[in-house]
Amino acid sequence: MSLTLTCPICGKRNGYEFRYGGEDKGPRPAEDGLTPRSWCDYVHMNKCVAGVQKEWWFHRDGCGSWFTTYRNTVTNLEVEAPEAKE
Amino acid sequence: MFGKYKPLWGNKTRLKSSYDAVIIGGGLHGLATAYFLAKEHGMKNVAVIEKNFIGFGGAGRNTAIVRANQRTQINVPLYKEALDLWPVLTRDLDFNLMFNNCGNLNLMHSEAAMNAARMNIATAQFHGVESHLLDAKQVKEMVPALNISPDITYPIHGAMFHPPGGIVRHDAVVWGLAKGAVKLGAEIHQQTEATAINTENGRITGVETSRGKIHSPRVLVSAGGYSAGIINKMLGIKLPISVLTIQAMVTQPLKPILNHVVSSGAYHAYANQTLKGEIATGAHMDPWPNYTTLTTAYYIKHQAQALSEFLPCLRGVKFMRHWGGLADMTPDMAPIMDGNDPIDGFYMNCGWGYFGFKSCSAAGRHLAAFMATGNCPDILEPFNLRRYEKHQLMGETAALVSYTPDN
Ligand SMILES: Cc1cc2nc3c(=O)[nH]c(=O)nc-3n(C[C@H](O)[C@H](O)[C@H](O)COP(=O)(O)OP(=O)(O)OC[C@H]3O[C@@H](n4cnc5c(N)ncnc54)[C@H](O)[C@@H]3O)c2cc1C
Ligand SMILES: [Zn+2]
Repeated sequence: MSLTLTCPICGKRNGYEFRYGGEDKGPRPAEDGLTPRSWCDYVHMNKCVAGVQKEWWFHRDGCGSWFTTYRNTVTNLEVEAPEAKE
Repeated sequence: MFGKYKPLWGNKTRLKSSYDAVIIGGGLHGLATAYFLAKEHGMKNVAVIEKNFIGFGGAGRNTAIVRANQRTQINVPLYKEALDLWPVLTRDLDFNLMFNNCGNLNLMHSEAAMNAARMNIATAQFHGVESHLLDAKQVKEMVPALNISPDITYPIHGAMFHPPGGIVRHDAVVWGLAKGAVKLGAEIHQQTEATAINTENGRITGVETSRGKIHSPRVLVSAGGYSAGIINKMLGIKLPISVLTIQAMVTQPLKPILNHVVSSGAYHAYANQTLKGEIATGAHMDPWPNYTTLTTAYYIKHQAQALSEFLPCLRGVKFMRHWGGLADMTPDMAPIMDGNDPIDGFYMNCGWGYFGFKSCSAAGRHLAAFMATGNCPDILEPFNLRRYEKHQLMGETAALVSYTPDN
């Protein structure tokens, strides 16, 4: 199943125009009091969700923007942002 | 002859309420660990639980290539041991694993790659693994079908030749290990999914499954591409892993043209000829994580282009079947084998990416020792999870056919 993604500037495009940028892990940890462990968590550790996850993409062969979107890793389809829980 | 068929690994039996060890995942590593637990440590009250059927994961989908020419000092001895084990297992399991040690030829497409091969070969030779450098002319003599002309996208400058590697029948390894483990007392429970892992005060207490609850002081997760997701979901432990679909295919059967496994990092393709005459070929990994295990038109085109450049006699040949499986990739292209940290009695063996077939015998053997004694064997120690926070990543990304979601 081929992937399409919606760039905030260029709109819906072929997935091969983009580069995957990793799971969304929230803001980069503050430099103050940063431990090797928390840095490692931010850089390397993943949840590997089989389902919907929020993730980063880069429109490499287009406008060059970075953006986040939601994708179902089991169907490889971009999905609407899930309703905020709680 | 017909009607007497019985699975080699026994008929479906009742799931007991407790075992000395539970192994999640009936793939290569889970079955090898169960076999060696019984064989070398007398630990027989062991259950392998498998969500689908044994061999459903990477075990039944890989392209069956085995070799021991890894890049780093830490990795080579493990893969060498695994390679040396194929004839031993064939005998001990009393099952023909169809080891065809035809040798692996890694093509080099630049002078820089030739230098990288020289270093790789030096490491291999230091560990007693046979490996040599060939120039383009020698490569052509060995495999006349290869195109060594300078006017292809990546001209062939030479190759790294590793004679002791080759192909082992992957299904036979699954069946043989399952037969061996069950014969020694282990149980294999198919259609049994692990749904939760139970802990109490930092210790493993058991596993919940789709067929009921099991008590056990030891649990190994060796669920291949599914490991990282289930370890996070069941225990809240995140791993430095990305799970990607990797694809492979075979052509229609042809007359013999390839006597070796030929691979190219630059073309990102490898090929060998099966005993039936098909060209089995693969390497492409989707550039983003997914659990689809689907094949893509993009890849079929890539593979046709790559193969018909360096093996031009394959132009016009038809692909007969294609399939995909999962590869769980780590940033340093080396697996994670760890235990008793941060939970006593919890063991994991994952992150094998696309190297998990060739290594399963040795990895399973040492994991069995780890689980039986509680002490990590020296050879596994460097593969612990904490190496990432200690910044002791391994240099396997420098191997000649390197490919990860991070590059
Ligand atoms: C196309 C392709 C080509 C490859 N080529 C090669 C090669 O040439 N050489 C090589 O060395 N390696 C190769 N590999 C890699 C190799 O196949 C894997 O690394 C290897 O199969 C991993 O073994 P495993 O035992 O860890 O996992 P697997 O063999 O994947 O087994 C894991 C099992 O766990 C089960 N499972 C998952 N979740 C649960 C649950 N919750 N409860 C119970 N069971 C569960 C799955 O159903 C599966 O059967 C290739 C892989 C692919 C996909
Ligand atoms: Zn754009």
